[in-house]
Amino acid sequence: MKRGRWLVFLFVSPAVILVGVLMYYPMIGTVIDSLYATSFIDPTPKFVGLSIYREILTSIDFAEVVRNSCIWTAGVVLLQNVVGFAFALLLDQRLPGRALMRSLVLLPWVLPGVVAAILWRFMFDPQLGLINSFLIRLHLSGQGIPWLAQTSTALPAAIVAAVWKGFPFSTVVYLAGLQHVDAEQIEAAIIDGAGQLRRLFDVVLPAMRELIALNVILTTILTFNYFDMIWVLTRGGPENATNIFPTRIFELAFGEFRFGEGATYGVFSILVLTLLLALYAAIRRGAERKSAGA
Amino acid sequence: MTRGSRAAGRAGLASLQFGLVLFVLLPVFWMVSVSLKPATEPFAIPARLWPDHPTLANFLHAFRPEFRTYFINSVVVSLATVAISVSLGLLAAYSFTRTQFRLLSVLMALVLAAQMFPESAIIIPIYRIMRSADLLNTYASLIIAYVAVTLPVAIWMLRAFLMRLPPTLEEAAEIDGAGPLRTFLDIVLPLSRPGVVATAVFVLVVTWQEFLFALSFISSKSMRTLPVGINDFIGQYGISYGELMATSVLISLPVVAIFMVLQRYFVAGLTVGAVKG
Amino acid sequence: MMIPRILLAATALMAVATTAPAQTVTLRFWDNQQAESGLSIYQKEAVQRFEKENPNIKVDVTTVPYPEYQQRLLTAVQGGNAPDVATLDQIWIAAFAKAGVIEPLDARAGAAGITSATFFKGAWDSANYDGHLWGIPFNVDAWSFTYYNKRLLQQAGVDPQSLLTWKGLAAAGKKLTGNGRFGIGLFGHKGEDTTVVLDSFIFSNGGKVLNADGSCALTSPQSVAALRYLQSLVPYAPRGILNAASGDMRQLFLNGSLAMEFWPALEQPTLLKSKLDWGFVAGTAPAGKTPVGTYGGWNLAIFKSAAHKDAAWKFIRFLTRTDVNGSVVDLIPANIAAAKTFLAGKRRGPRRILKYLEDAAPRPLSPRYLEVSNIEVTLAQDVYSGKDPGAAASTACAAIDALH
Repeated sequence: MKRGRWLVFLFVSPAVILVGVLMYYPMIGTVIDSLYATSFIDPTPKFVGLSIYREILTSIDFAEVVRNSCIWTAGVVLLQNVVGFAFALLLDQRLPGRALMRSLVLLPWVLPGVVAAILWRFMFDPQLGLINSFLIRLHLSGQGIPWLAQTSTALPAAIVAAVWKGFPFSTVVYLAGLQHVDAEQIEAAIIDGAGQLRRLFDVVLPAMRELIALNVILTTILTFNYFDMIWVLTRGGPENATNIFPTRIFELAFGEFRFGEGATYGVFSILVLTLLLALYAAIRRGAERKSAGA
Repeated sequence: MTRGSRAAGRAGLASLQFGLVLFVLLPVFWMVSVSLKPATEPFAIPARLWPDHPTLANFLHAFRPEFRTYFINSVVVSLATVAISVSLGLLAAYSFTRTQFRLLSVLMALVLAAQMFPESAIIIPIYRIMRSADLLNTYASLIIAYVAVTLPVAIWMLRAFLMRLPPTLEEAAEIDGAGPLRTFLDIVLPLSRPGVVATAVFVLVVTWQEFLFALSFISSKSMRTLPVGINDFIGQYGISYGELMATSVLISLPVVAIFMVLQRYFVAGLTVGAVKG
Repeated sequence: MMIPRILLAATALMAVATTAPAQTVTLRFWDNQQAESGLSIYQKEAVQRFEKENPNIKVDVTTVPYPEYQQRLLTAVQGGNAPDVATLDQIWIAAFAKAGVIEPLDARAGAAGITSATFFKGAWDSANYDGHLWGIPFNVDAWSFTYYNKRLLQQAGVDPQSLLTWKGLAAAGKKLTGNGRFGIGLFGHKGEDTTVVLDSFIFSNGGKVLNADGSCALTSPQSVAALRYLQSLVPYAPRGILNAASGDMRQLFLNGSLAMEFWPALEQPTLLKSKLDWGFVAGTAPAGKTPVGTYGGWNLAIFKSAAHKDAAWKFIRFLTRTDVNGSVVDLIPANIAAAKTFLAGKRRGPRRILKYLEDAAPRPLSPRYLEVSNIEVTLAQDVYSGKDPGAAASTACAAIDALH
């Protein structure tokens, strides 16, 4: 083992160096930038300490972006995992055509992000879109609903599109996990006379706790930083209804030439995401303590 | 439960499965349908599911010379990224799995946490780095950036997989006098093939659709990749939806095809990887 | 920066790096990718002609579609890798000048005898900021012409000339809405097209966006009346105004479910290719006033960091020449003489377009224009979603005045 240590470091070094140079080094630069008032039109940096932070913290924009980011992340992660799990349960049954169904259900995930976003913008189109076409034909709505053009429906619509794109990955992960739930435990539960639902909650879910936790964390990080979908669907509009951290940062830095504020939003973005993950960890710890106590 | 009602239940479940998958695929179906609509056939309100006179004309338009160039660029960049990311990931994952010391765990956590940075906040500094290394407008710039993004997840997936391999095999090899490198090449590598395939597909899917780096590092038209290239076709004043959807279908086809071929390994690889993650 | 360079260079050995051998002077030229198909061929021919006339200069052309151009150019400039010469949107000139990344061209223009008389006034004005000339006008257009479906108007008995007045336009909108059809296509998504249409209504009523001293002018009675008028058109528009772009209206117009739409002259090639029977009037204004459009277009600028400024200037002179300008643009040449030939050959209603261009007004020349524009988009969205125009304008003005 000892003589292998140098080899271990050799193997690990490319990953560490690449991530260090391309991710951490720029990130430190971003944190430093956020302490200076810099913008494209005024390139000489002035040290202003935390005053940009104070300014942003008290702005309405920031409050809206935080609220949207939390709703967006929570909504997509929750639905993606629930829908993903439900599909996994269904596809786990020994049914005819299972192999084909398993690969077909993965299609949305394989579709390039820009393509999926363009497709959903078209799906939601008030006049030409397929969704409103169904609503009109089924007489559920007279003229169709402008999903992406109302502040009340834009974010939920974007969440639906993102869930469609992302749930298949969760399905595969859970499908894999289901195959490793101990068959004996399930049989024992059946002999005990447990119904389908009881079986699910008493045996399957506890057995997959670790896996669910991991998948939730991974999808949280990916969703929080998911840029393409909202950018193509609404660019963060109407008003600020779908503006989340990545779209707001892009809008500030490249749409309005305000690099300093973009950097500050970037730092906040990392903070909020860390908070979200900490919150999640706390909830889990609480739930575990409760289940251990019971 | 009687045999008959169980069969009926299974048939019900099967049709439920079928129906739900169809529902999921409806947008994809519509994409194909619109791609077959002739430019002269106006859009109906409310929309129709299938064009009156389907045609492949949109595909002929979409398959223009630029598309072919972008396609080749995408293939080169994606394949190189997959090769590098999976090889480096395998080596790193192997080290993380077989050796336990604190510094390594900390490094590993830091490498994974890198996923938390919003790309648009750090794109200008990354651009500067690429420029000072004289890498702008090269395949290398994209490959390096994509490896940096995909490597952490590749390590995570492969590590989970390797941890499932019984250590007794390697111990036996070491007793036989094989060095760590030999052990890795002769024993570990052949056994980890499903995990490697799963990781490769994951890296391919992520790389094939990356947009922001490709947009920023590449200005020359001859070096553009597909996700950026599709915007060339949209432009400020737009092409027809039919052509756009035909291009979308063409972009999606290669990954879908590869995925269909490899999906068995992919699911198998994830099966193992996910459980012990 | 030393360490990353070595590391990356080492990593780069794994992949193929492409580097062109430098022989003569190579000029790096960036341009917004123009939409009209086939234009790139003329552009290529023009570049070849330039290279023939100047054998020691090679031009390396990069075209970027509009939605990505701003981001890519900005990244390149900030990353210390700006091109030698590029087309800049009129609304970027002040910011690029203030940032100190482009060259003042007064001396060169003076020496070459280039004066404002060669170009449309609005285009020339947009290249001037803070007492200096920062670019040479390349191409122009104006928002917005009112395009209409001839058959639908005939069926409804609407005289196209009536669309020139606000009253007539609203009446036509009302008449043409119903039975699954829409009268007037309004768009209010987050994008510059939303702003330019809003501006053209404000301008046509004698209003302004900013006063001469840079303070917000959107609360003036003329501006608020224009906002109120736009709001009155909402019932005649297809649903989903707040996420609709001008391009989204094209399908509806082409399939005959939309009778009238606001577009620049650039929309003509697309419509000419269709089977639709269409016409247009140049803008709309309250009775007795002249319609004033919003100027759009591009100026050619030389970057401070350019290695070959003299060659870049030669190239600019070439592209804006009367005999070249018309063949390398899909908007309208900014050179008036070239524009006349171009319009006569390639556009319907050339004289009406010329007149509209002469009357059009530019958007505010402020280095923080992009922020002003985003505030205007929010104003437009407030107005289109039914908020009180006066109150919405006050909110917008508070935000604009807080910028300074």
